[in-house]
Amino acid sequence: MGQLRRAYLGPISEVAWRLPGWPTRLLAAFSLAERGSMLDMLAAADATPRREMRRKYFLHALDEGRHAGIFASRVRALSPPGNISRAQAATEDAGLLQGHGIVAGETLFARLGEMDFLAFVFVAEADAVEQFHVYLDRRLPDPDTTAALRDILKDESFHVSYSKLECDKYRREGQPIDHAIRLARWRRVKEGWMRFTRDFGERMSGVWLLVLYFLVIWPFRLVARLERGGWQRAPARPTSALAAARLEG
Amino acid sequence: MSTPEPYEPSRLDATLARLGTAGALLSMLARGGRWWMLPLALIVLVVGVGLLVLQSVHYVAPFIYMVF
Amino acid sequence: MPAYILGISALYHDAAAVLLRDGVVVGAAQEERFSRVKHDAAMPRRAAAWCLEQAGITAADLDYLVFYEKPLRKFERILATSVATFPRSWGSFPRQMRAWLGDKLWLRTNLCATFGVRSDRLLFCEHHLSHAASAFYASPHEKAAVLAVDGVGEWATTSLWRGDGSALEPVSEVRFPHSLGLLYSTITAHLGFAVNEGEYKVMGMAAYGKPAFRQELDRLLKLDPAGGFELDLDYFSFHYHPTRSGSPALEALLGPPRFPGAPFAPAVAPGDASAQQIVESQRWADIAASAQAQVEDAMLHLVRYAKGAVGTDALCLAGGVALNSVANRRVAAEGPFAHVWVQPAAGDAGGAMGAAMWAWHAVLGNPRQPPLARMDLGRVNGPARSSEMLTDLGAKFTEPADPGASAAAELADGKVIGWVEGGDEWGPRALGHRSILADPRSTEVKDHVNARVKYRELFRPFAPAVTAAAAADWFDIPAAAAEPARWMLSTAGVHEARQATIPAVVHVDGSARVQVVDPVASPAFHQLLVEFNKLSGVPVVLNTSFNLKGEPMVSSTVDAMASFVRSGLDVLYIDGLRVERPK
Repeated sequence: MGQLRRAYLGPISEVAWRLPGWPTRLLAAFSLAERGSMLDMLAAADATPRREMRRKYFLHALDEGRHAGIFASRVRALSPPGNISRAQAATEDAGLLQGHGIVAGETLFARLGEMDFLAFVFVAEADAVEQFHVYLDRRLPDPDTTAALRDILKDESFHVSYSKLECDKYRREGQPIDHAIRLARWRRVKEGWMRFTRDFGERMSGVWLLVLYFLVIWPFRLVARLERGGWQRAPARPTSALAAARLEG
Repeated sequence: MSTPEPYEPSRLDATLARLGTAGALLSMLARGGRWWMLPLALIVLVVGVGLLVLQSVHYVAPFIYMVF
Repeated sequence: MPAYILGISALYHDAAAVLLRDGVVVGAAQEERFSRVKHDAAMPRRAAAWCLEQAGITAADLDYLVFYEKPLRKFERILATSVATFPRSWGSFPRQMRAWLGDKLWLRTNLCATFGVRSDRLLFCEHHLSHAASAFYASPHEKAAVLAVDGVGEWATTSLWRGDGSALEPVSEVRFPHSLGLLYSTITAHLGFAVNEGEYKVMGMAAYGKPAFRQELDRLLKLDPAGGFELDLDYFSFHYHPTRSGSPALEALLGPPRFPGAPFAPAVAPGDASAQQIVESQRWADIAASAQAQVEDAMLHLVRYAKGAVGTDALCLAGGVALNSVANRRVAAEGPFAHVWVQPAAGDAGGAMGAAMWAWHAVLGNPRQPPLARMDLGRVNGPARSSEMLTDLGAKFTEPADPGASAAAELADGKVIGWVEGGDEWGPRALGHRSILADPRSTEVKDHVNARVKYRELFRPFAPAVTAAAAADWFDIPAAAAEPARWMLSTAGVHEARQATIPAVVHVDGSARVQVVDPVASPAFHQLLVEFNKLSGVPVVLNTSFNLKGEPMVSSTVDAMASFVRSGLDVLYIDGLRVERPK
């Protein structure tokens, strides 16, 4: 484990697992992340030109799907009875899923290509193994979640070993796999930063827009009215003219 | 016969298209008789351009927001 | 040179792409089937790419790309509503403006960059006109009243159109915030289901209750003598609140909302629930029944107005509310129209088809095409590709001489099978191309499929598929609902004498959301039904969508295999290949 990562992951985990309500949030986030990974691996299984890899990606995807279910069931178990938490609702509703690698319609596999994808899988899985070890070493989760994590760790260790073997193959073939691994590490740091800046930017722009709302909107309230109910004559406008069809409004 | 390539808009095309959209919005409001919304839409559009600029440099968004 | 038009719906929910070649559908696909994110709203890049690939063209060959909404008019509505509800809209204004000013407003630029199309090739169709066109131009009717009912588009929430040949003219509309779709969604949220997803569940739940809350709900919605309706906005907050659709007044009226995932145990099926859970569940079922009865009455009210205003024999329906199959049955049985046609993708996905068809017919002035005869308009895997994939995945599979007969025999033997054949279905219903099938004669099969195969709520019913020749012997389908019943868009009564024979597909109220299968629309599936009838004397099978809870229907061979392995299915048939369950 990297010294820097070790330095911050331990203390952060200590806090995160002890704050009220946070264990279920963390587990829900893991569930959604695993589910997203399942989609990435299935997309890779579908698209890979290396036919010998298809089954490996597919089995990896099935593991990730199973892990998502295990984490979701831990969220259910830890949520107060009769009062479903937001975290649980998130795992119940896959429509909230945003954590997969599809960006602008391209899957992670399509964006990276096979070698970079495998390097990414290796780095991500190794990080997950390290992270789970921190949780277990510090005895942070409850006993049942600990047992679940140990179960999942076996799969994750297998994912690390098979992706490492594939990376080794690339290395033997003289492919720039070490560069790809460095790139994958850098990409994870960059994506973490981008997530932070995006979230921060959204919050800040929300504040500015709220200021705008209270400063600018209120005078217009005097003239604005909601529409009345009931049928109204459809406004006169051309619905079949090409010029009108070109308009966005 | 070679297959034509799909169109890739340049930055200038995109900027012009956005200006066109802003104009189309104002024109639509005027056409529809919602005159009172014109100044409001104008203010909102100016803010929108600001947001777009910030988005284009989102690597450093937190620092820019701190300056503001 | 043929003319190509690509219709696109996106950025709200159920993004889709539809490609027309000289006005005929070449491909129609929803993005969720590619991305595997249910109701995916992202720009349908992969669906569009698949459509173009089907036609063997690139974006540069497109004559027009038509978006299913007028974005600036929608922005105008959002801005005007924020102002009109000041200061209550303080929570929603920043979110809405951030989304619009940062992205959605600049749709023209976005469409050009995403799909590689020049700005002068872009057209924009109104949201409700897209819905109306999707129903009218795809239907067999030359003249029709066309009714679109949904949550909201730009301003319209309900709109009536007069269709005549290639022309589609507006008659009248009801405007936001008065919306039948948003009323139903508000009740959906109150009952603990996700909006735009859980509306089917409310419909299923309704059969367990009585409309005991009808009086209360009638305070929310007033049907006016002029044929329209109005909401009492005191009970709603969707027009100003960022996440909540009902107001505190609604909770005071109907009681506390149901938490998502809370167990549902009504009086007729209590299981091992506590007395308090049964009472609560019955209250939810009664609210669902009341909302369902209300929306049915409202739809009848609207179609009666439509008949008076347009006066044709035929009615075409679209918009999310047109997916309410129970309401469609009443519209067909009790309404004034001799023929009813419903767009199978009546929700926003269908807008992509409507936008493209509108451009071809109304804008470019081309004559009508034959109606849509099949709905397997999406991605095809094919036997060769499936065989290669299954080999690579290490699956054990065989190639039966007659897959229909083989599958029928396994169904008769009590097995639950996955059935993948031909292209993805257009719309949310599995019509025998991406289906889970089972023997409807078994009483246990419903609970088995709900709990062990699809992992979904036990109260949800399953639909029957029946051969066209035998449909009338088993089901009471209103004459006007003949077309909707082909695409599982209307419920029907199950003849009382037949109910005991097919208990797995009869809902608690004696109804079923039947699919009448004909050999033209689904030849392979029809053959399976014929074979099952030979073995069992029952021309009906249980047919439910091939997906697991929270996931879209399977599309590719890999998706199908993944869902097969993760579910309790016994066997999978995929493009004529029989796949055994891995040990």
